[in-house]
Amino acid sequence: MAARDSKQESLLKIEDLWVSVEGKDILKGVNLAINKGEVHAIMGRNGSGKSTLSYTLMGHPRYRINRGSIIFKGEEIGDLPPNDRAKMGLALAFQYPVAIPGVSVSNFLRASVKSVRGQEIPVKEFRQELKAQMALLEVKDEFLSRYINDGFSGGEKKRLEILQMTMLKPALAVLDETDSGLDIDALKVVSTGINTLATKETAVLLITHYQRILNYVKPDFVHVFQSGQIVKTGGSELSEELEERGYDWVTQELTPSGVA
Amino acid sequence: MGEKVKMIAKERVDEITRQTAEPAWLKDSRLKAFESYLKTPTPCNRDENWHRTEVDALDLAALNVIVSDSKEKQAGKEPEVITQAFAHLGKKLPYIYTTPQNVEIGNADSELLSKGVIFCSLKTALTQHADLLNKYLSAQDLSKPDFAHDDKFYLMNQSLFNCGAFLYVPKNVSLDSPVLNVFTSGEETSIAVFPRVIIIVEQGAKAEFVNISTSAKSKKSEKSALSLINSSIGTLVGHGASLYYLDVSDFSTNTFAVSRVYNEVKKDAALHSSTVALGGWQIKSDIQTNLKEPGAKSDIRGVVLGAGSERYSFNTIQDHIAPDTASTINFRVALKDSSSSAYLGTIRVSKEGQRTDSTQSNKNLLLGSDAHADSIPKLEILADDVKCSHGATVGPADKEQIFYLMSRGMDNLEAEELIVQGFFRQVVQSCPVDGAGDWINTLVAEKIHSENPNV
Ligand SMILES: Nc1ncnc2c1ncn2[C@@H]1O[C@H](COP(=O)(O)OP(=O)(O)O)[C@@H](O)[C@H]1O
Ligand SMILES: [Mg+2]
Repeated sequence: MAARDSKQESLLKIEDLWVSVEGKDILKGVNLAINKGEVHAIMGRNGSGKSTLSYTLMGHPRYRINRGSIIFKGEEIGDLPPNDRAKMGLALAFQYPVAIPGVSVSNFLRASVKSVRGQEIPVKEFRQELKAQMALLEVKDEFLSRYINDGFSGGEKKRLEILQMTMLKPALAVLDETDSGLDIDALKVVSTGINTLATKETAVLLITHYQRILNYVKPDFVHVFQSGQIVKTGGSELSEELEERGYDWVTQELTPSGVA
Repeated sequence: MGEKVKMIAKERVDEITRQTAEPAWLKDSRLKAFESYLKTPTPCNRDENWHRTEVDALDLAALNVIVSDSKEKQAGKEPEVITQAFAHLGKKLPYIYTTPQNVEIGNADSELLSKGVIFCSLKTALTQHADLLNKYLSAQDLSKPDFAHDDKFYLMNQSLFNCGAFLYVPKNVSLDSPVLNVFTSGEETSIAVFPRVIIIVEQGAKAEFVNISTSAKSKKSEKSALSLINSSIGTLVGHGASLYYLDVSDFSTNTFAVSRVYNEVKKDAALHSSTVALGGWQIKSDIQTNLKEPGAKSDIRGVVLGAGSERYSFNTIQDHIAPDTASTINFRVALKDSSSSAYLGTIRVSKEGQRTDSTQSNKNLLLGSDAHADSIPKLEILADDVKCSHGATVGPADKEQIFYLMSRGMDNLEAEELIVQGFFRQVVQSCPVDGAGDWINTLVAEKIHSENPNV
């Protein structure tokens, strides 16, 4: 594996990560290294622990790290609050973003960008940047005056998540099932957003349930996630194989008896 | 004001009357109120209206009543609180600024004067416009709220009021921007003051009134240095008239603030009232609105932001006396730390009040793990053809919302600021006064980020 062999220090290095929720072990020894600018896909069944990984990376207080480490930009971040992680350049596009009635999208975006960049951006500059990203994601102006995710369709929620990523320009964007529930047109638009996001400066960890999005976004690495672990890693060809043969194929390959 | 005298006693009434050369009818009314005051028991926690207020902690005998005459003068440099308000409201407005030492009048508007509008201190009103005031007060238009009969604090105010403001808008005259009345107790502690505000909007007229009450923020709360600010506000909205009243209060943690608001709304008239309560040791506020004639409408809103161990108690009373009247109430309360709130909302519909349309909503957001909120709706409906609805919620802040905002780089307080502003939005956004919503949001943000000494 090029990523693991490289001498340079990884952007993100997860080692033997064990995480429990309400006393139940969910992640059971995750290992993963991501370098600057790489695109990684994690594929796995529902309930395999993908969102647990994404929440744990972002620092959700409900998820407890029992063992292992998360090193981001050379620093252990396991004990840092989410806002410190965000300021370091980590961002999460939520699988199920919450609604916050009464808080307009434009106020929220301004506050977010100000917090993450650590300074106020001039209104005009902010507007220009935002308008450009909105055009790319085919988001209408009226979006800005609506309340965060309040009454949003599934597709609108996902677009707002990607819009935030493109405004925040993190060093690592974790996208948790940003493709789920999108029709083909929306999927294409969102993929365009992801492809503009994925630059030399921004690495992407694309968490998905389906192979479909990988027709539009080409990952450098594909990992298969199962029962709280990465059980197989390969190049982008791995996703096609998974699509053809199903997750059971990995399961069987790993446990010849067929019992996971 | 200036001179301080101990104790609330009949002599205080005599002194006030002597020093301000008030008309005889007013002295009579003060003395009558004082008699009732003496007969009325001090409220206690067992009373439904008072069960969340620590009234025993207030030692009336230890308070200095300010009775002497205050100096009234044209304003020099604009006080900070007024500059801040103007910055949001978009322009310089006529104002009255009252402290325990003096009264300043600023930006008097000669155009308003030429239209017959009166905006002056209550003292000036009582000497220069006594007959006009008498007409309204003695017609008892402004003297019939529930609390006129049995509320010790209201009666105290009615006998001892010693500062305040008067706004009179004659028939068919429209004010298209607000006037501003500010009371501040400043650095003074252990005092008792009794502001009184009277607003009369005549038939077909239109007015906006902003009332600000503050005290200097103390570093720490000292129960031994408590002050009582006991206000009454009376509004009369005439036939087809409209009044927008905005009340912003932000007291120190040494202040026990009691306020009694009585609104009277006539035929086809509309009252919009927004109350913003941002601080004090205890706030005890009653707002009664009587919809006296058909077509009268009232829209009463409130936002409360508590922190530390502040206690808030708001009572609203909507009295639908005439048929075909409508009222809405929307109160939102956000509580940090171990602050608490008790909201009691009464909708009353008389036998004559057919086709009343009334809604009442009170929502409470508990930000602090030791915060507490009660919400009690009371319906007293004697008519049979009415539309009345009420709803109340009490719940903690959504942790997922906080996580979401923090994942975007905001710290806990920044996240709280957005969530509270969002929670208040529905009440704040439709403020008829231009810039008021923005101003309230700023005040809310300031309070959220301020260090609270009273935790
Ligand atoms: N808050 C929670 N409380 C209890 N169990 C949870 C919680 N969150 C996730 N789980 C459990 O953890 C497992 C993994 O869930 P999740 O990480 O959401 O998987 P995925 O995203 O791969 O669908 C599931 O069995 C789920 O029921
Ligand atoms: Mg998931």
